[in-house]
Order: sequence, then C-alpha cells, then structure tokens
Amino acid sequence: MNILHRSLAVAALAACTLPASAASAASADEVSSLLAAADHYRMSSENMRVETLVSVSNADGTPDKERRYTVYVQARHQSLVLMKSPAEKGQKVLMLGDDFWLMLPGSQRALRITPMQKLLGDASTGDIATLSWAEDYSGKLVGDEPCGEPEQTCQHLSLAADRKGVTYQRIELWIGKKHHEPVKADLYVQSDKLAKQARFVMDKPAAPTMVTEMLLRDQLTSKKDTRVRYVDRKEQTLPESWMNPMFLAHNPGLE
Amino acid sequence: MKPALLVAALWLAAAAVAPTAGSAQAVVAASGWAAAEFSGQIRPELRAVQRPGRGPIGLADAIEPGRVASGSGLVVQSELRARLQGWHATATLQQQRLQGAGWHDQGWFNEAYGSGGSAGSGWQWSAGKRIVGWDVGYGFRPDDMVQQETRRTLLATTPIGRPVLMAEHFDASTAWSFVLVNVTHSRHEPGADEPAFAARWYRRINALDAYGFLRHGAHTGQSVGAAAAWVAGESLELHASWRWLAAADTLAPAADSGGLARANPWQPATVGSSVQGLVGGTWTDAEQFSLLAEAWWDGTALSDGQWRAWSARNRQFEADAATPAPRSVVAGNLAWQASAFDAANNLRRANLYLRASWTRDHWQPALDILYHPADGGRSLTASLGWQGDRWRFDAAARWYGGPCSAVLAQLPTRLQIVGAGTWSF
Repeated sequence: MNILHRSLAVAALAACTLPASAASAASADEVSSLLAAADHYRMSSENMRVETLVSVSNADGTPDKERRYTVYVQARHQSLVLMKSPAEKGQKVLMLGDDFWLMLPGSQRALRITPMQKLLGDASTGDIATLSWAEDYSGKLVGDEPCGEPEQTCQHLSLAADRKGVTYQRIELWIGKKHHEPVKADLYVQSDKLAKQARFVMDKPAAPTMVTEMLLRDQLTSKKDTRVRYVDRKEQTLPESWMNPMFLAHNPGLE
Repeated sequence: MKPALLVAALWLAAAAVAPTAGSAQAVVAASGWAAAEFSGQIRPELRAVQRPGRGPIGLADAIEPGRVASGSGLVVQSELRARLQGWHATATLQQQRLQGAGWHDQGWFNEAYGSGGSAGSGWQWSAGKRIVGWDVGYGFRPDDMVQQETRRTLLATTPIGRPVLMAEHFDASTAWSFVLVNVTHSRHEPGADEPAFAARWYRRINALDAYGFLRHGAHTGQSVGAAAAWVAGESLELHASWRWLAAADTLAPAADSGGLARANPWQPATVGSSVQGLVGGTWTDAEQFSLLAEAWWDGTALSDGQWRAWSARNRQFEADAATPAPRSVVAGNLAWQASAFDAANNLRRANLYLRASWTRDHWQPALDILYHPADGGRSLTASLGWQGDRWRFDAAARWYGGPCSAVLAQLPTRLQIVGAGTWSF
C-alpha cells in the first residue's frame, strides 16, 4: 500500500470512527494506525539506511556545528549510527531495544553505555535513530486543533513510551488531519520536563510524501536549534549477526 | 625504506588522490574499485615536564646534572587512515623537538590489515597489524589479552596494533574470537610482544554483557579471565574483570645487586601464578555529568616487599654519593633503579581510581585521581577539551605526589602539562 492510499485509509477510518466530540474515545488500535501512518513519512520500510545531516545553531541564529551520520534503522528496535563527520569519524552507536553500545575508533572496543549516556549532543542519537513512534508509544487522541504553518487542522495525540529505552518518555504529537503527516511535537524526558520542541518539514506541503527535515528547539538548557536533514533514504536490511555489539569493530561495507 | 619515509609517501599519495580533502569526507572512486576512503588528523602538541627533586631519577640528576633528558618540547603527530574495500591502514608520522635536542622524525603503521567474511555463515577473518581491544574497564584492563593498551594517557592516542591472524564468529547475541598474535616473534619476547593464542567468548544477556577469555603465551603459558558489564538502570553501569595468569613477565634486580653495579641489574624475570581483578561503575545524569569509580588489584605488580627493598637500595646509592665512588657510577645506578617503574602495567598492586567529567556543548572538563592505599601515593589529573567541527583543543595537567616514600611521588616526572590542537579531515 503506497503512502497516499495508506493515509487515505487511515483518514477514512478516523473520519468514520472519530468524530471530534468523541475523539478521546479513539481505540488503541486507531491511535496505533495513526502513528503508523505518521511514521511512514519518515520511514517507508522497516529496514532502512538514512543519511542524516545535523546542523546546530545558537539561540541568536549563528551556526554552531554540523554533523553527518549514516543511520541503519532495522526492525525490532534495532539501530546502528555511524558518525561520519571529521570530529567524530569512526564512532558508532548501536541500539538494540533498551541496550546501547558505543565504539570509539581508537580502541576498537564496544563499550556498554547507559540510556543517559546516549543523550549526547544537541541532536542525541535517539533523535536521529528513532524514526518510529508506532512501535514504541501508545496513547490517546486528544482532539482536533489548529497547528502548523500555514495553519491547518491537526489531530493532537498524547503518547507515552511503552519501554524505558526510548529517548523521550512522553510525546505530544500533532499530525495533519487530512494526510496524517507529522507537523509538530513536544518531547518530554523521563522527569517529564519538556526537553525539545520539534517541527517537521515535508517535501510537498500540499501532498506530502516524506519528511525532509526535523527542526528541534532545545527547551532544557542550551536553547539551541537543531536542524536534522534526511539527505537520502534507502531500504537496506543488515544481517542479524552484524547487529552483534562485538561486530562494531567490523561492519564491512557499511561506511 | 624508513618508516617515516613510507608514511610520508602515503600522505603524499593521499593528498594526490583526495581532491576534496577540505570536505567532510575524501572519497575517491577508483576504476574497478568500490571507493578508497581517506581521513586523518594533524596534531601539534606542546609538552612541559617538571622533574622531581626526589626519587632515583631526581637523585641521579642532583649527583650528575644533565643526565636526564628534559621531556619538554614540541611534538607534531600526523595520522592518516585509509580504507579500500577490505583493506585498512592507519599510519602515523611524528616529528618532535625536545628541549636540548634537534628535530627527530619517526613513522609507523598503527594498523595495516586485510579483512573479510561471509555474512551468511557469520564468520569474519583479519590478517595483518590490527588493534584488537578487549575487556570492560577504564583505568585497567586485565583481560585486554591481545592489544594490552596503555591506559590513562593524557591525550587520546591511537594505539599501535599487533600482528594478528584472527577468525571470529558472530550470531545475534554471541561472538567467538580466536587470535594468533605475534606469530613471527621470538618466543622469548616479553609482555604484549610475546607470541600467543588468545580467545574471547561474548554473550549478550539483556542488560548484561558477559565475557570469557583464554590466552596461551609462548613462555608465560596459560591464562584465563572473565568480565561483565551490566547496565543497572537509566544512569548506572557496573563492570568487573578477573584474570588468573600462570606466569607474567616482569623486571627484577639480579640477586647479587647489593652494591654498585656496572650494568643495569634490573633484568627480565617471571612472576608466578597471579590474579588481577577490577570492579567499577559509571554514573551519568541528564546534564551529562559523569562519575567513574574503579578499584583494581594487579598481582603481577611489584610487591610491598620488593618496593621496600627498592627504597633501601635507593638510600644506599644516595649514601654512596658521599663516598669516593665515581659520581657517574652512583648516578647511573640510581637511574637504573627507575627500571622498576616499567616492571608491570601497575606500580602498586592495589589501586583506587575516581574520575569526574562533564560534557556541556563544546566543552569537556574532567578531573581524576589514582590513589595507592599501600603508600598514599596519588596522581591527580585535570583536563579540558573543546570540540568543534574540525578542530579540537585539549589541555591537561597531571601531578604525581604523596608522601616522600610513595612510589608515585618518586616517578621521573612530578608535573606533566600538555596542550594540543587537533585538526581532523
């Protein structure tokens, strides 16, 4: 099912079953379908390779830093992030569900890290490697609200993480009512503090097919803006053995 | 061809084929080849060393000034990494000018190996000079049976790999590694240069990484080890390592080295059945403040009795300086006493280590202390790093101290300061 048909099907389902007055009564399955539709704009397949460019700017708009990543997102909550910028080249982060490893190029040794240690940098590896909400979150449909630029009618979803390892434990998400594309999100960390606010840029606003950029504004400390650009996406499935933490010293043909 | 010339030639080749060297990545498509990829860094580094007034080197220098080289100066280290399909190489060219000496160049390959494998079967192989890092600790890694990497360096440096023939098997949660290391070396080579067979077993069990290790050295014989790393919560990671060795290389003074000697009495020796172990943990909070604490035991390090005998010899040589004995002979004998510092990976058997670090935007300050309960010796390190897109700047200072009798307080260096700028491409 292509993305348009899928969105239309979900829209039809939502229209039939979710009148605004009874929006909060949407079933878990319906919320899950809406999330799956929204996910599809960022990740069109279960197993993908995504080239990502992250630009960070200061609160006054001056450029701060730029980083490039190759991200392999695989089924069953598995992600491998390869750092490609000169400052970090050779570093790798492997995420298998709620378990994380870091490999620094000098030692060629995979190192267990805690969920807190993966929240490094202005765009954490969680921001760039987690492209699926449907698998990790459940919640409720709050209702219809205006949102976005230009303003459109959005569906507001309030989501809670189903597992501990995700970067954000609560997400308030707004998706377009017509196409179910992600429009904006408020991202909350474990302590329920608002950590970041996200806006999503679509390729074709009138008839969106994919998210091209995610704009993050830090709300906790740095107040910096982070622009995450999805430069290239390709379907790619890695062999299961390549997601073994000890394999981080190898990864043939990945870089 | 000299290593330095070889590395310089590699650099020239990289410059010639990397038209986009100023870009984020220099990738050169070559006819018939997938791609050659180059990256690297250049790091000018200023070192300042303050020699101690105490300890054998300090005493030797007092008796015969100028005997000990300064250690202060400028070092420029250029590192080039190249990859083409299954072939990998990392080469370093080092130019240094230390106080009182001219420029000195040297070059070496950190890594030069070929690797391949079959994704279907899960087998991988490697052959050549390669960094093979094992174990879970930070300050000490008893089970780092192949690389035996130097720990707690003031600046991060790429280790020099070992010549290996390696086969590994991976599935989703288990890995086996079999390594023949230093196969062409003499069986009498000490420490990490000893020919050996080493094996590692790994299994992931949810939040726990479990490891088993085995090594058979050509002259040190059997050794077995085990390690684990466990993420106990959102912020806490705990780890532990243990190793038993049938024998280990060390240095010991010749039995008849009571008086002034004509040659260095500290000669290669073997320490018998020994145990090494480490326990530690890391705690990190949401603000990226991190605390690492470790305690370790190294049964291959010199014993308390050996250090007492060492101190007694130092006092005896110091007293000899007041006798008609030639001052250069006394100074030489004192300088040879510094060989004891290289007898093992750790100076004392019992060690406590604490490190606090913080990552905030571009800045990475850190403080650490190594403490020896046996004699109260301590080493305190403060460092500050700044990371940009291409440039990284580091400044670090390490001070060795404690009571006069402490081994750490008698090292050849009392204070070490390093400043470096690294440009990466």
